[in-house]
Amino acid sequence: MTRAEAVALALSLLADEDVVVAADGAISREAYRALDRPRTFYMLGSMGQVASIALGLAMTRPERVIALDGDGNLLMGFGGLAMVGGIKPANLYHLVLDNGCYATTGGQPALSQKVDLASAAVGSGYAWGRRCFSGDRARDAMESWLAAKGPALLDLEVTGEDPEPAPRVPMTPEEMATRTRAALASA
Amino acid sequence: MSASHRLDALLEAGVEFVAGVPCSYLKKFFAGCAQLPPSAFLPAVREDHAVAACAGAWLGGRRTLAAMQNSGLGYCLEVLTSLHLMYRVPLPMIVSDRGAPADYEEHRILGQRTRQLLDLFGIPWREARPGQHEAEARWLVEASERERTAAVLLVGKEVDV
Repeated sequence: MTRAEAVALALSLLADEDVVVAADGAISREAYRALDRPRTFYMLGSMGQVASIALGLAMTRPERVIALDGDGNLLMGFGGLAMVGGIKPANLYHLVLDNGCYATTGGQPALSQKVDLASAAVGSGYAWGRRCFSGDRARDAMESWLAAKGPALLDLEVTGEDPEPAPRVPMTPEEMATRTRAALASA
Repeated sequence: MSASHRLDALLEAGVEFVAGVPCSYLKKFFAGCAQLPPSAFLPAVREDHAVAACAGAWLGGRRTLAAMQNSGLGYCLEVLTSLHLMYRVPLPMIVSDRGAPADYEEHRILGQRTRQLLDLFGIPWREARPGQHEAEARWLVEASERERTAAVLLVGKEVDV
């Protein structure tokens, strides 16, 4: 399963009211292309901060907050795992689209190939953490993840790049932030 | 009333969510934070994570505040520039003013350039004065919201927090 397919599958399993934080780079672009929604916040920079932004949302919102993260991204902000695990927001669901490398910058290998991210999450205090390294079982794994008690992290292996790279999100950063905040305020 | 006059003034000015990493200059302030409801205070593990969490809480509808030592501004720079300044997310910040000649060595190099650093990125700042908690809190919240940017109140050792 490619990263783009996994992003699209995850979005298809969410409820309308769920709030999504999409990681900077390809994950945001693929999330936009698969299903744009005002309750998705698209990151452009700030690599390593997906879990932290999601935590700020989860602490202040009643809805589920879904962090669509990358493996290299998570490793850069590993302290975010400790914050989520320490605070334990039951409405935070963390999906790591794990390709074992820095795909956006040329596929350089990442240490996620040697670090068990799901165990790290559980060790940090997440209520649930699993890894799924089989594309055939991705849907089952995602359903178990979303049915689990939060905070829950699913480390999902993805392979290969989509033949059609997703274009950049055609909104200004200010529009993206304003739109997501307004969508949540109107609830 | 919390343990911190400064925090009380900021809550009065509208702050609803605080994330930060302690500094000994901000001992009372963080003692006050520890008394906040669990959904209103995030004891962050590093300053960049604190300001990123504030951006999340702002998206969630809260008025936020980050608190830290000025050394933490170094960690924050990427997040402040590619999140708060770029997306125009307001962020009031309480930053301790370390680095005076009498302060320890590890605080001096970045500490003595704090004002230049903030000026370089166009982040408005003020120095806290004794007894001005309410006016300073109002300025900090208003300055960040008016321009939808980060704004900093520098808090020195002699200023009661």
